[in-house]
Amino acid sequence: MNGSRTARLHLAIVFAALVLLHFYVRPRLFDTRLAPDFLLFGLIVFAMRSGPGAGALAGFLVGLATDALSPARFGAAILADTIVGYAAAWGRAVFFADNVLVNAGFVAVGLWLRDLILLIASGTPQGQLLIELGVYSPLQAIITAGAGALVLLAFRQWFAVRLEG
Amino acid sequence: MFIGCVILAVAALFSPERITGSLASGLRQTILVPLVWLQEEAELGRSSRARLQTLMAERDSAAYAAQVLPSLSAENERLRNLLGLSHRLRTPYVAAEVLHQAQVTDSRMLLLNVGTAQGVSGFDPIVAPEGLIGVIWNASRNTSVAMTWSHPEFRVSAFTANGSAFGIVAASPNSAGTDAYLEFRGVPYRDSVVPGTVVLSSGLGGVYPKGIPIGKVVGVIREEAGWARVYRVRPAANPGSTAHVLVLTGRRVLSVAEAYPSDTLEPAAPSDSAAEPRPPALPISPGNPPASVPGRARADSTVKLKPKPKRAPPDSARPTPAPAARPAPAPAARPTTPPAPPPAPVRPDSTR
Repeated sequence: MNGSRTARLHLAIVFAALVLLHFYVRPRLFDTRLAPDFLLFGLIVFAMRSGPGAGALAGFLVGLATDALSPARFGAAILADTIVGYAAAWGRAVFFADNVLVNAGFVAVGLWLRDLILLIASGTPQGQLLIELGVYSPLQAIITAGAGALVLLAFRQWFAVRLEG
Repeated sequence: MFIGCVILAVAALFSPERITGSLASGLRQTILVPLVWLQEEAELGRSSRARLQTLMAERDSAAYAAQVLPSLSAENERLRNLLGLSHRLRTPYVAAEVLHQAQVTDSRMLLLNVGTAQGVSGFDPIVAPEGLIGVIWNASRNTSVAMTWSHPEFRVSAFTANGSAFGIVAASPNSAGTDAYLEFRGVPYRDSVVPGTVVLSSGLGGVYPKGIPIGKVVGVIREEAGWARVYRVRPAANPGSTAHVLVLTGRRVLSVAEAYPSDTLEPAAPSDSAAEPRPPALPISPGNPPASVPGRARADSTVKLKPKPKRAPPDSARPTPAPAARPAPAPAARPTTPPAPPPAPVRPDSTR
């Protein structure tokens, strides 16, 4: 088994664990609005270790699942996650993707960007939009980035994550 | 790839609700079934945890209620008995609650929550459904202190239920704590009392009405100078566990025998401190003398049911003092009143 296949296997295992966390553990432990979004974290981790096309496709699939499960405007999450996945894949070329803080920052920014696109695409009123983007999204972004950093540290051998800056 | 995904996303955004709805529904029923199931299980677990907490709170409440229930049932039973007694009593009375104190001498002197404001005065008898408790020692406006039968200075004139013997009942000086007994003193030597015989107040002396159960004879303690016997009596009522009593306030009550019919003359509750296994009932026959007088009593004296005229000694209480005006003496300093002059002989038919 070569290194590329091993890395993909590790990524699949981690992504499966994140799906489990998102759909089984998160409803039990956290308040839904501020709970960490493990699906988006998985999308960004995957996109940062893949190409832009694969990142966009992964975002599309994650958005499709999100739109199918939540009764918001269908397509908004698809669009948002596609853009976030594509941007995360491009961000790998700009920043040091093997640093845990960079990964956490990517997750935080990606979540806020996802919420921005999602809220605009779903036609959210301006007042609610400001509250969501100014209060809840930053809080959820910080929480998701923290949880993502813990996951990255737990699997740092698989992701070749550096602790120093 | 990215452009294609974005175009598909925008197309989904502007697609009719009918198409997107059916697409989402199809996804939920096929590919996303495991995720939906996971989320359902998570919600079920969360709600189960909340229900478990509610159930645990209810269980704790039920456990607490169950702890209190036996005492409530016992109190309910006592109150029912007291209610039955109050219906049978044809004399004035005042229902009182015993305010038990955390002292070792609590069973000797009881504090009641009734006083002169409720008509209670000194030397009023106190009864429970089981029998005699004691007498009011002194009464203040809203409370009163009662001397129970376990007090060393307690005396009551008594006779057996069949009228065969008279005497004075007092607390046994040798009994204490869990072995509290009464002594039936001054019973003539010729008048043997069978174990199990109920001892009642005789009504002589003017304090205690006739017919209040005091206890049951369980055996002979000693003989005095060869002419009288002292019997051991198991008390009918236990002051230490009594919570509610009746204070008989009628001044000239002669008898309360109708309040204690023969089928209610049962020993005190097993929870009391004076409980002791009763000796087995022995058949009374000329060849089988009762165990209370081993080797001394004649068989023919134990089977005599026809009572003889007796000189019944009175109880020790003085007749109707003015308790409200009288200063309350210390229990230990109060001397025992000497016996009054012997009363007229009691006719057999007047004892029962």
